[in-house]
Formats: sequence, structure tokens, C-alpha cells
Amino acid sequence: MKTEIEKITILPGVNKFGEKEKFEKIEIKKGEIIAIVGSTGAGKSQLLYDIEKLTQGDSKSKRKILVNDKKPDKKIRFDPKKKLIASLSQSMNFLTDISVKDFLSLHLKARGKKFDSKLIKEVIDEANEITGEPILPEMNILNLSGGQSRALMISDVANVSISPVILIDEIENAGINKEKAMQILVEEGKIVLIVTHDPVLAFNTDKRVVIKNGGIIKILKTDLKEKDIGHYFNWIGNYNLEIREKIRNGEKVEKVKLFCEPIK
Amino acid sequence: MKFVIFAGTPGSGKTSVVKYVIQELRADFKLFFAKFDCLKTEDDKFIAERYEIPTIKKLAGELCPDHYTALKIPKIIEENQDKDVVILETAGLCLRCSPYIKEGLGINVLDITSGNPSRYGPILTDADVVAISKGDLISQAEREIFRANVLMVNKKATLVEVNGLTGEGATDIVEAIQSSLEIKTKKLTLKHSMPSALCGYCYGNRIIDEKEEQQRALVGKKLKNLVPGLNCGKCGFKSCNEFIRAVLDGKAKKEQCPFIKNK
Repeated sequence: MKTEIEKITILPGVNKFGEKEKFEKIEIKKGEIIAIVGSTGAGKSQLLYDIEKLTQGDSKSKRKILVNDKKPDKKIRFDPKKKLIASLSQSMNFLTDISVKDFLSLHLKARGKKFDSKLIKEVIDEANEITGEPILPEMNILNLSGGQSRALMISDVANVSISPVILIDEIENAGINKEKAMQILVEEGKIVLIVTHDPVLAFNTDKRVVIKNGGIIKILKTDLKEKDIGHYFNWIGNYNLEIREKIRNGEKVEKVKLFCEPIK
Repeated sequence: MKFVIFAGTPGSGKTSVVKYVIQELRADFKLFFAKFDCLKTEDDKFIAERYEIPTIKKLAGELCPDHYTALKIPKIIEENQDKDVVILETAGLCLRCSPYIKEGLGINVLDITSGNPSRYGPILTDADVVAISKGDLISQAEREIFRANVLMVNKKATLVEVNGLTGEGATDIVEAIQSSLEIKTKKLTLKHSMPSALCGYCYGNRIIDEKEEQQRALVGKKLKNLVPGLNCGKCGFKSCNEFIRAVLDGKAKKEQCPFIKNK
């Protein structure tokens, strides 16, 4: 049932003016994170769409997407049960009045899997590494904070979803440790594509694909200096989380840390 | 000609999805759009102006909305033989019935925030395509749970996630329309049976009283045997049922029906 994706290849299409995109091919391997950047309306979501639908020159952009160097099987393209690609939604709201534990077991059931208390514990534990405020299995999902909901859904995508490719479109990212979140996704051997202009997320990638007027105009390799800048911003974010927790717990904060301790 | 019915509860995003579908189709196909509603709608004018295609509006008013839709379908098909795709959108629905016909494509636009899908009847369970709207409002895990719940009540449906704001999913619906069968026969069949006027309340009784209800049902059934059931409109009412109601209310005489008069 599980289809192994080792590599995705994007072959050039055309931009809004019908001009051919100027690259030979873009290869994305298992465990890689790619940022998609560009101004509003540049065509970032179209690229995510092409990848989600594994288009074969039949979309507006005329791009072709290869899986493991081959044209993907028609069955994979159209069978909803064989979802190779999971999208992490921008919004992380819940509607069902249910506990975290029961919600995750419902999701497992929806995915055609058996109840697995070990896996559910793992999802919650990893979510707790992403958020500052601990999530307990008995909590009602409707009462989770924004940060807790996001952390839980990122961990859920990493652990419950079998889809090897994760698309993230401008995720709201307040209240979570972003580097940790990305690390958890990549550790599970996923390919992650993320539309973002957040320095932590954009610099925590392998490459940045730049889009303008509907076409890919540049592919930047994220260099070490940029990664350091990303770490620095992540440190600030985490420090922010730490202070938030102190405020939440009714503690006083006496002094400010001025120098970051880079995690390496 | 392909015949497509979009059905869904008010506010589910049907019209928004239909707009994007028309946008995608209109360059290559000759289209016709029919909007069915209970009391009021301006969508027909809006679609006609923006997309420059012929449209029609039908209001069920006093009548059971699904009955009314079913009664009007043959004429719409007959009058639009020169079209490639006829799109019918209906918001006038009771969840007991569904307006889908076997010969056409039935699409249910289903709001993901509307609760457990098992509460819906044939409007969902008989749909060929279920277009799930507003998925962007909730987490992807709950979206997957919802999809699984939809498949539990309708295993055969093609599931499409649509977004009425961005038009996402419209191309998938267009694909489903293009691969649907052409209408060839003149004899059309509903996918699901409808209850006909069975009780006194169906005949328009408003007094909550068992005797009154029975009395009205009795007289109503007798009249039902007398009228031709053609909904010809010669009595001045939209349908035979509406005419019967008026007779029971004392607002019309049974001789107003030319068929009863000539008997």
C-alpha cells in the first residue's frame, strides 16, 4: 500500500506570459525541505497544486512532475485513498467535542489503521516537544491553545499520515518551536515543501524556489550563513515562548538574555 | 448533452463553486444554467451577466421543492437540446428527498462544518460527486476524519475538496462533468423516491388536531383521484397538489379543474 517516494522532479512549464521557465529540472529528495517564496499572486500555490495533483502538463503552468524519475501511475494520481501528498492546512481549528486521545484514535481509524496507544502517546509526546504548554491526552481539543493545536497537527502529520510528501501553505506559526517542528517532519523521512517568508522556516531549508509572474525564476541554495541567521531567529522565538510560559505561570521575569546560545 | 445537478444546504457554497465551474467550461462548451430556490434568488441574473450564458430561475414557493424541481427537469432538457452542458443548482431541498436523476451527474456540495455526514439522506448518499467545502477552516486531521465519514455513507462517491473563495477543486469537478455520460433517452428517472402527499398536513392543514388532519387527508385523497396529475396549470395553480390545497381551504372550487368539470 505504501508507495515509497525517494525523489520528486519538477520539469519546467511556462509563466503567465507563456514563456518557458529557465531551469532544466528541480530534484527534491527524501528528507529535504524546500521553501517556495515570491510576492502575493506570484503563483506559489499553483506550484503546490501541480505537485499535489502530480500534473503532466495538464495544468495552467504546464509543468510536469516526476516521481522517482518516472511519470507517476494514473492510479496514484486519481485514487484518493492513495494520497501521496498531505497538506498541512493554514487553519488548525477543531469542531468535534472530544479528547485529544480519542481524536487521534478517530484519525487513525479514518486512515484505516487500528487503535494504537503507543502511537497516540508518541504523537502527543512529539507535539509537546514543539509547544511550550504541555498537551495532556485527556484534554478536550476544543480547549487547546493555538500553539498546542498547531504542534499537535504537525506531529499528527509526521506520525499518523502515511503521505511521504507534506505541503505547507503559509502556516500560522505563533507559539511553536519552528525548527523542532521541521526537524520532526524531516526525521520521519518526508519531503517538505513550504510556502513561507518567515526567516526561521525559510532558512531552515535546503533550497528556496523563487517564483515571479507564475514562473520559477531562481533556485537558491540555503547557505550556512543564512542557516545561522535562521537559528538566531529561532532562538529569539524560543526565548519568546519561554517568557510567555513564565507569564502564563504567574512568574516574574527579572532580566533579559541578550546573547543567543546557538544550538548546533 | 450532459446534465449536472448541484445540490446542497443553503450557505454550503454551491453558487461559488458553480461560478468557478462555469468559468472553466464556458470557453469550450455551450452552457445553460437553471437556478432553483424556494422563495427568492438573483443568482440567475448574476450568472447571466457575468458569464454571458442563458439562465433561468425557478421558485418552488408553496410546493415541495424537490417535487417542483423534478417536475421542471424534462422541459429544461427539452428546451436546451442545442447545449453541451446544462447545470441545475438547487437550494430548495428537504433532506428526505434528492433531486438527482439517474441519467445525469449529481453533485452534493457539503459544508465540512455542518456536522456528522450520517445525518444527511439521499442528497448525500445518492450523489455521484461530493464536493466538500470550507475545508480550509479546520485542521487537516479533522478533514480526513470527515472524508472517511462521508465514504461510510456513500462508498461510490468521488470526493473533491473545493474552496469557493479560491476556486480550488473546480477543475476536478470539471473533469467529473466531462467524463459523465450524455443524456440520450427521453425517459428520466429519479435516483430516489419521494414521499407524495400522504397526510392532511401535506394537503395544507395547519390546525394541530388528529380529526382535522384525517378529514383533510380523506377529502384530499379523493380529490387526488379526480385530478389528472398533469400539473397543466389550467386551474390557475402551479400543480395539482397546490390546487387540492386551495380547494380544501375553500379558496378554489373543484370545477376550476377542466378535467373534473368534464367528467
